[in-house]
Amino acid sequence: MGVLKFSVPEIFFGRESLKYSSICARRLGAEKIFFVTDPGLEQSGWIDVIFEILEEKNLGWVHYSNVSSNPRDWQIQEGADLYREEGCDVVIALGGGSPMDAAKGIALVASNGGRVQDYEGANRIKRPLPPMIFMPSTAGSGSDISQFAIVTDVERHVKMSIISRTLVPNISIIDPILLTTKPRELIISSAIDAFSHAVESYLSPIAFPVTEIHSLKAMELIMKYLPRALETGSLDDLEQLSIAGTSAAMAFSNAGLGVDHALAHSLGGMLDVVHGLIHPVLLPHVMRYNMTVCQDKIADIGRIVLGRSLGSAEATAQAGIEKLEAYFDSLKVTTRLRSIVPDQVNLSQICEMAIQDSCVLSNPRAVTVGDMVGICEAAW
Amino acid sequence: MKNKTTTLEDIIGLEHTKLGFFGELKNRNAELRDSNLELGRRQREIQAILDGITDVMAVVSFNFTLISVNHVFGEVFSQKDPRGDFCYRVFRERETPCPDCPMVIARETNQVCRKLHIYSLGGKNHQFEITASPIRWSNGRGYRFLLLMRDVTREKEYQARCYHAEKMATIGVLAAGVAHEINNPLTAVNGFAKGLQRRLPRLEACLKEGRASAELMADFHEYLETILSEGERCRDIVQELLTFSPRKKVVFAPVDLRKLVLEVLKLLRYQLNRRTSRLICLELDEAVPPIMGVGSELKQVLLNLIFNSLDAIREKGTITIRTCRTDSWVVLSIMDTGCGIPAEHLDKLYDPFFTTKPVGQGTGIGLSTCYNIIRQHQGKIEVDSVENLGATFHVKLPLPSMVKHE
Ligand SMILES: [Fe+2]
Repeated sequence: MGVLKFSVPEIFFGRESLKYSSICARRLGAEKIFFVTDPGLEQSGWIDVIFEILEEKNLGWVHYSNVSSNPRDWQIQEGADLYREEGCDVVIALGGGSPMDAAKGIALVASNGGRVQDYEGANRIKRPLPPMIFMPSTAGSGSDISQFAIVTDVERHVKMSIISRTLVPNISIIDPILLTTKPRELIISSAIDAFSHAVESYLSPIAFPVTEIHSLKAMELIMKYLPRALETGSLDDLEQLSIAGTSAAMAFSNAGLGVDHALAHSLGGMLDVVHGLIHPVLLPHVMRYNMTVCQDKIADIGRIVLGRSLGSAEATAQAGIEKLEAYFDSLKVTTRLRSIVPDQVNLSQICEMAIQDSCVLSNPRAVTVGDMVGICEAAW
Repeated sequence: MKNKTTTLEDIIGLEHTKLGFFGELKNRNAELRDSNLELGRRQREIQAILDGITDVMAVVSFNFTLISVNHVFGEVFSQKDPRGDFCYRVFRERETPCPDCPMVIARETNQVCRKLHIYSLGGKNHQFEITASPIRWSNGRGYRFLLLMRDVTREKEYQARCYHAEKMATIGVLAAGVAHEINNPLTAVNGFAKGLQRRLPRLEACLKEGRASAELMADFHEYLETILSEGERCRDIVQELLTFSPRKKVVFAPVDLRKLVLEVLKLLRYQLNRRTSRLICLELDEAVPPIMGVGSELKQVLLNLIFNSLDAIREKGTITIRTCRTDSWVVLSIMDTGCGIPAEHLDKLYDPFFTTKPVGQGTGIGLSTCYNIIRQHQGKIEVDSVENLGATFHVKLPLPSMVKHE
């Protein structure tokens, strides 16, 4: 094993940790906050809670909420222009993956100039970003932890990945209370996204014990607490999902993802489907594809899913994948690709785009466009 | 878009870390330090430029309060620190704004305004050219004035002198031309008058004796005398006028002014009676070096000046003739305690035909001749006069070492 790396932001975890946001902002030198949310959050009442917290510390702010799910390049540009016009100094994001990715893009363009496209790829950021404080309202995306930002290039219909340690936020404040107001579908899609992060990062060739324990812990918590959370909606159970999402994020930010996410990004760029709902369709087939190179690790996953070991690693792995498919079914989410993707969409075109995705790099088994089409067909 | 494909190593990013502001700050600090040094240098440069301005400079607010002045202010005005005081009080000792204030005009027209003002400094009047220019905010609206005050007293004097010299040259050419034209007919008149005079005995011989003839002859004698003497007077005037014309190259010889003065006084012996000759005092410095010039012309100048002074003192008072040397001049001064010269006459003094004497008693070309002679010696003739107390003419002739060779 070569030299590897594990980096995460400062993490606040716990109920009512939100109130530290303004203190953190002050400590980071804030006077005028650039505050990013998605429009859906405006009705939730959480925004006003944050405003009160900011007001208490006499912080000014500019609120930017023109962010769609899967943030667009022009939304980044608009936000960066606003940031500069208003002379903001610290970026705070509240919400799911979309506002957080948008906030990263805005912080990047506002400080480094140019267009967000200029930074597509790995390690292309040359100058520091304004301090970022992220408060995830879902337990899945992990954008509050990760070094990734995914932004849609509207013209090319591509989800661009921007990878840089500089995109790791300074502070992540994870307050499980935010999850209590979430609808069931969102809790499911977030948890499945987190689960897929855990699986793919666990199988990654650059996974190492520091990331692996987070991957395994995340899977374990999701298997155990997602059904209970859906049943009870209790804060205790939601809190466990929150921990799972954070663990999974710590793992994938450092170990990377795989083909499932490469395809999910490609489909997302083309079809604008909910990111978390692509994994029930693809993940089991991607795991089967990877089986030949990492059967033991998939067996580890199987052990968690099944709650026990079968006779052989192979059997445990296979049974685990099947159990996972059954579990996804039980959640009443789509498990067939055909119900997401319209017939006229060219699968090989999607796969050709997916092969460009940086997630492919950390997939344990080398993959071709043909392999990907095979996976898609299996999932059809 | 991507000029390098991403690798797994890029995702690990061992050589990359979250970028902080420390480096940025360091660079910015260095930049600021550099620009600070540059600003300081520029400031010193501007200060040097400002210090090099020899005019009085003042920044004045819209309500006539002095905001700042440059170092020249202290050299020209006596007040130590005028800041905060009203400009009209500092510059003109007034209690209200001046009626012809250039700043008011500059404010009204929003343009630079120039004016000549006379300030009294140490009892002497100085002419100042005042330039008021509005200092503007970046939006173009004026909020203060920059006053530049230049003492143009000397310039104005030079200007006047230059104007005078030009006038003299023009008049000189004119006068010399007229003199030449008159010279020939005058020679004829004089010659034929003399001819007639010589023929008088023969005329007398032709006449019958008798009282009538004697009377006729007496008339002829008298009239011809008059023609001849007046003709001679005309010839003298013409001769003097001819000195105005650009003369032929004459040879300058060393002239000892002391000797010259004594010779002139010897010449005057017959004209001065015993009383008047005692009115003249001499203060002749024996150390004065000889100057280069034409002795006869300088004598003429001295005679002219002495006659003028004698006229001025009207037989009571004194005339002092003094010689001395300065750095570049030998000065011959004729000082009298006479009636002085009225101020309004001072600038016409050397004009040809300007005279205050009754008609027939002076031609008015004496001083203009002097002016021309001295000018041709590359010298200057100046006058100090206080009415009713007397006048002093200074004839300044260059030391031989200072003479410009043409
Ligand atoms: Fe994801």
